[in-house]
Amino acid sequence: MKKSLLFLLVLTVFFSFCFGARAGGDLKFAVQVEPAGFDPNLATAFGSHRLLEHVYEGLLSFNENMDIVPGLAESFEVPEPTKIVFHLRKNVLFHDGTPFTAEDVLYTFKRIQDPAFASPAASYYTEVSSITAPDPYTVVFTLKVPMVNSLLLNFAGVNSAIVCKKTVESGVNMQLQTNGTGPFKLKEYAAGNYIALQKNERYYVPGLPLLDSLTFVVIPEEISRSSALRNADVQMAQIMEPLSLNTFPAQRFVTYRVSTLPYLLLGINNAAKPFDNVLVRRALSYAINREELVEMVAFGEGTVTGPLNPSLKTWALLPEAFDEYSYNPEKAKALLKEAGYPNGFSFEAVTYAQYSLDKIGEAIQAQLALVGIQMKVDVAEFGIFVKRWREIDFQTFLSLNGGSTEPDIQFYRTFKSDGATNKFNFKNAKVDELLEKGRQALDLEERVEIYRALQRLLVEENPFLFLYSPNNLYVSLPEVKGFVPMSNQSLIMLKKTWLDK
Amino acid sequence: MIATYIFGRVLSAVPTILILTFIVFLAIHLVPGDYIDIMLGTQNYLTDEQLSGLYKQYGLDKPFVVQYGIWLKNLITFDFGTSLRTGQKVSAMILEKLPVTFELAFFALFFSLVFGIPLGITSAVKRNRFGDYVVRVLGLIGLSAPTFWIGAILIVAVSGLFQDYTLFGFVSFQKDMAKNLQILLIPSLTLGLMLAAQIMRMARSSMLDVLSQEYVKVAKAKGVSTWKVIYRHALKNAMIPVITTAGIQFGYLMGGTILIENMFALPGLGRLLLQSVNQRDYPVIQGVVLFTGVFIVLMNILVDILYTLIDPRIDLR
Amino acid sequence: MEWKRLRRKFAKNPLNLISVVVFALFLAMAFFPQIFTQFEPNRMNSAVRMISPTASHIFGTDQFGRDIYSRVVHGVRETLSIAFLSIVLACVLGTALGVISGFYGRWIDQIVMRLMDAMFAFPTIILALFIIALYGASQKNLIIALGIVYTPIFTRTVRGSTISIKQFLYIKAAKALGKRDLSIMLKDVLPNLTSVLIVSFTTNFSTAVLSEASLSFLGLGVPPPTPTLGGMVGQGSNFLLSAPWIALFPGLFIALIVLSINIIGDGLRDVLDPRY
Repeated sequence: MKKSLLFLLVLTVFFSFCFGARAGGDLKFAVQVEPAGFDPNLATAFGSHRLLEHVYEGLLSFNENMDIVPGLAESFEVPEPTKIVFHLRKNVLFHDGTPFTAEDVLYTFKRIQDPAFASPAASYYTEVSSITAPDPYTVVFTLKVPMVNSLLLNFAGVNSAIVCKKTVESGVNMQLQTNGTGPFKLKEYAAGNYIALQKNERYYVPGLPLLDSLTFVVIPEEISRSSALRNADVQMAQIMEPLSLNTFPAQRFVTYRVSTLPYLLLGINNAAKPFDNVLVRRALSYAINREELVEMVAFGEGTVTGPLNPSLKTWALLPEAFDEYSYNPEKAKALLKEAGYPNGFSFEAVTYAQYSLDKIGEAIQAQLALVGIQMKVDVAEFGIFVKRWREIDFQTFLSLNGGSTEPDIQFYRTFKSDGATNKFNFKNAKVDELLEKGRQALDLEERVEIYRALQRLLVEENPFLFLYSPNNLYVSLPEVKGFVPMSNQSLIMLKKTWLDK
Repeated sequence: MIATYIFGRVLSAVPTILILTFIVFLAIHLVPGDYIDIMLGTQNYLTDEQLSGLYKQYGLDKPFVVQYGIWLKNLITFDFGTSLRTGQKVSAMILEKLPVTFELAFFALFFSLVFGIPLGITSAVKRNRFGDYVVRVLGLIGLSAPTFWIGAILIVAVSGLFQDYTLFGFVSFQKDMAKNLQILLIPSLTLGLMLAAQIMRMARSSMLDVLSQEYVKVAKAKGVSTWKVIYRHALKNAMIPVITTAGIQFGYLMGGTILIENMFALPGLGRLLLQSVNQRDYPVIQGVVLFTGVFIVLMNILVDILYTLIDPRIDLR
Repeated sequence: MEWKRLRRKFAKNPLNLISVVVFALFLAMAFFPQIFTQFEPNRMNSAVRMISPTASHIFGTDQFGRDIYSRVVHGVRETLSIAFLSIVLACVLGTALGVISGFYGRWIDQIVMRLMDAMFAFPTIILALFIIALYGASQKNLIIALGIVYTPIFTRTVRGSTISIKQFLYIKAAKALGKRDLSIMLKDVLPNLTSVLIVSFTTNFSTAVLSEASLSFLGLGVPPPTPTLGGMVGQGSNFLLSAPWIALFPGLFIALIVLSINIIGDGLRDVLDPRY
């Protein structure tokens, strides 16, 4: 009897050891930018988002395919078009051991909506009339207008992540300290150097995260980051320069690529001559060879995009569907002539030196020169660029906009006549009408129709030019397993990653 | 005598620093784009009410002279303010990053002197012979390639050839001395190379000057060996321009290691300044400029004192 | 100045002659780049992107298919003018300030040196950002920015040497004899500064070439698509492993320019030295 028990014991230990070898590992991930402050409801910096998404969580989350999945809310229903009811998970603890309840959700959203607090998420919830908690694990959002669809996505964003009421009320500076419910907690922050996270042992999803620790090492220069990976100073790195991929042979490295939602654009001030003439704007579209841009600037690591990213199969009209997207310098010249500029014209584009925007500017400059348009590219410092953008002090600009899987989020603020980020002096009543209808419609088919019409209208009117969406590239050593990149640039799948040593 | 001199110099440094910090503050505020613009970028939106609240919260709504005044007032109590971006205390941030830049600058200067002075002297002594040419060309290579280019090449070469050599992942001297030195070796060499060339040329030139002096020729005619002549008579005077250059360089180093710190991912003051200028993090900018300003001024005072020690004939008054 | 004698002395050293020829070549490139190149420097050609050096593109091409050799040759003009003019500015300003400061000493010296301290400590990036933000990124503004940055170096160096020179008996004698200050500064002090100035000028000229490169690297340089040698090295740094020729050749040109200037400078210094 004892012998078989002993044998069973040995077997158990042996098997758990095998499975145990699957979990674990200390992953060092090299990134380009570091976070700026740890308060999730305030964070605007890309570096902050990439850090905080592991430490804090929202009511909802995304899976690898960008589907909405449960987060801190294990389920939700929409009993009426203007009501969302979230059923919260029970037995969730914040990192300091405080139990998570509806109180924290109420407190977080009150904080977000507080005008004295200046949260960038506030603008998402302006149509929320009330938030109540009938019991400690249920939260009800009541809306002024039925716009559930675009709202849902926001619950999965870092800016809407839930903070601990007790912690914030105790006066702790949330910019310097963290207390979240996420798979990782903050262990050490060496400014400018690295941010060390460690596994949250009490994470509510059993078995996750798989890593023991996750350290983001900040290495701003591309050549240094890729050398750090090649040197195994880090096990994984974000790669910005597509050509470097050639230096990571497939036998020794694993490459990850994902087509992302953000898109590069040539923004146009529709009130500035000669761009107040739609023919001129359309001529630009024909005169720019987007495929060549992807080839020359991104070495193929990008996707030409229409108003919606082509990966959104349900909604997007593909670039091929639009004649304006075909490269046709002859047609461009004809349109220019019709608009009264037979000998072309000159204009200025302001941009900044990130995301290869300066290279895109150079490439477009050369392309436009072929149809007689002289483009001057002003590569300004980022702060100066933002100031000019904000004051609409430009003829055109080149920049990167965030994209979304939800058409309302993609279009509303940018194209509505009084939209928050409408810096194009673009006012079109038909577009406004479609935007309102699309926001409030409930039936999926109806919405698809509306947004298809909107896309067609946007390409015809051409308030600005969508260029392409760049791919995100990551490279890792072969022992890194289980990572899946996401099109919204999120790294949350690191919770399912492990080191196979 | 020296004491009064030092006191006088330190005293006169105060208005210098004040003017410096004021002009920097002014310049940064005149450049378009403030902290809030950059924080929001082009993808975030705040209502006018939220915006005005934010400006008030950071004290950015006051006229900039008032803002400068408040900063000065806080200085008296050694309060250097808090970073707009991260909320950390500026003094803590600077103290954190100072040792990194100091170590880097120190080792760079060390390499430059160790290589530059002997090479420069040799070159002068063996003038126009083969040794001179070789040394000069070598020195010029150090001068002519951009530091970030040399740095990039070294990074790629070292990481490719020596898999076990840790280049990235800075640790402080106290934490792990060996690793700290290992990580700093390549960047300080890179910086030092460029400086070595400048030091070498200055040393060569001033050595030549001195060697052709009458008293040196006399000593040589008397039969004193060349090296003895150099050591006893020539060296001291030849070193004056070299010291000036070294002092200048160290001052610049403390403020100018930005590219190297960026490239080698070292968390130093240079990178801090670059970041804070890019983000218009005013308290941090002021803090770093103040600190480097004081440092440079002190370095210059030190150099001037060294002058007198070397050549007592120099009248400092 | 017996130019014939000086010229012969200078020409004695073969290194000097080679350098003069090389530098003359670069000057020719700066003034007449079209003679040396067959391609337009800014012309993009997607058919020939990123090719390593071949017969028709002897330095290879960049990611836009632009011929690197043509860009490098045209870049010589930008780089030489920016570096040269800014150092001339700094040298003139710095020498004037340094001589006055070193000669008179006392409170003049104090004021000038405190001012120089402040300029030294003023971070270059803030200065460049400031000038570019308010006045635009152009060659002229870069020259002004770099000129301001380098003035303190000249001032400090010249002042140091002036103080040393002042000790020489014949200066003290001249003052005792009642010679006017300005005359002493120009006729007695300045000639003795020649070697220091030449070395400083040539040294800082090369540093200025590299400063321009650094500023371009940080995004504060001459706007595209104008090629500058420093800017090209900066852009090519990302491709060091995959396409080394993009950064290699502009860097080589910088090295050769700097090398030739410095050798000429040394040769001149040797020749002009009254005690040689």
